[in-house]
Amino acid sequence: MLPFFDMPLDWKRFILILAGGVSLGFAWNAFSGRGIVLGQSVLAQAGDELLKAPDAKALLDKGALFLDARPRDFWRMSRIPGSLSLPEEGFDKAFPEVEERLRRASMIVVYCSGYGCEASHIVARKLREKGFAPAILDEGLPAWQDAQLPLDTEPRP
Amino acid sequence: MTLLANPRVQLALRLLLGAFFVYASLDKIASPAGFARIVYQWQVAGPVPSNLVAATLPWVELLAGLLLIVGVWRREAALVIALLLVVFLGAAASVLARGIDVQNCGCVSVAKEATLSAWPPAWTRGVGWFLVVRNLLMLAGALAIAFVAPLPLVVTSKDTVLQAPQASGSGPA
Repeated sequence: MLPFFDMPLDWKRFILILAGGVSLGFAWNAFSGRGIVLGQSVLAQAGDELLKAPDAKALLDKGALFLDARPRDFWRMSRIPGSLSLPEEGFDKAFPEVEERLRRASMIVVYCSGYGCEASHIVARKLREKGFAPAILDEGLPAWQDAQLPLDTEPRP
Repeated sequence: MTLLANPRVQLALRLLLGAFFVYASLDKIASPAGFARIVYQWQVAGPVPSNLVAATLPWVELLAGLLLIVGVWRREAALVIALLLVVFLGAAASVLARGIDVQNCGCVSVAKEATLSAWPPAWTRGVGWFLVVRNLLMLAGALAIAFVAPLPLVVTSKDTVLQAPQASGSGPA
């Protein structure tokens, strides 16, 4: 039989440890110079234009060109209707394949697999460096699917 | 089971757990953005709650780990660690149940390069059964520190033995 403490835990100390850690965390975030902007996705940087799924769908209906920044195998399995594959990995190789379409597009929206996926942000920045002005689908494909928007699931070669 | 009441075992548990959590907090404190990305990848919380976790959690780990090492408020610090481990286990179960591939759990290192290096092996870095078992073992250790009273050591001329506490099982606070 294990000998257990008779004395109860001091819950004030417990709360103090939690509150102290949280306070130090906020102070470090505010004053260390390494902090993050708490109110927005850590993936977003200055210049990134984020679109909610319904707004992106409205642009799709107006003829916006959608770019899938996921690895090409994912695009082959399913994609937003009409989207082209421009994977973050292999961007330089894939860019010439879509450049002509990009030049003709009035609006461009980049997406990837959402949540921690940074590919759409990276592709959008690379496109900005090349003179394009793409928007980014906020939260990516999961947000698109959550909004019950259509997916093209016909396999592509 | 009385092994857990051995003061030397409890000391070792405190130092190991404390050192692990202090070490685990350092990279996250140095790179809140990197840690926020990883928390977000777990897909348990949206971007803003992930940021709040990334900004504050490492400091709770650091504070509780240091208190365990120095032995101040050690029962309460161990309970804080136990609470964190329960949350981590719940999140890991959610990730595993949904089949999400998290290659770097962010438990110790948040560097992107960590997912590319050969060491430590990938199965120790991702969210998988290694993480679950490790956290369960640490949870058992933390609960032992919080609730099991160390038996006093009695030093004789030849040997050191554990002795049951004299007064109704109460140990040092």
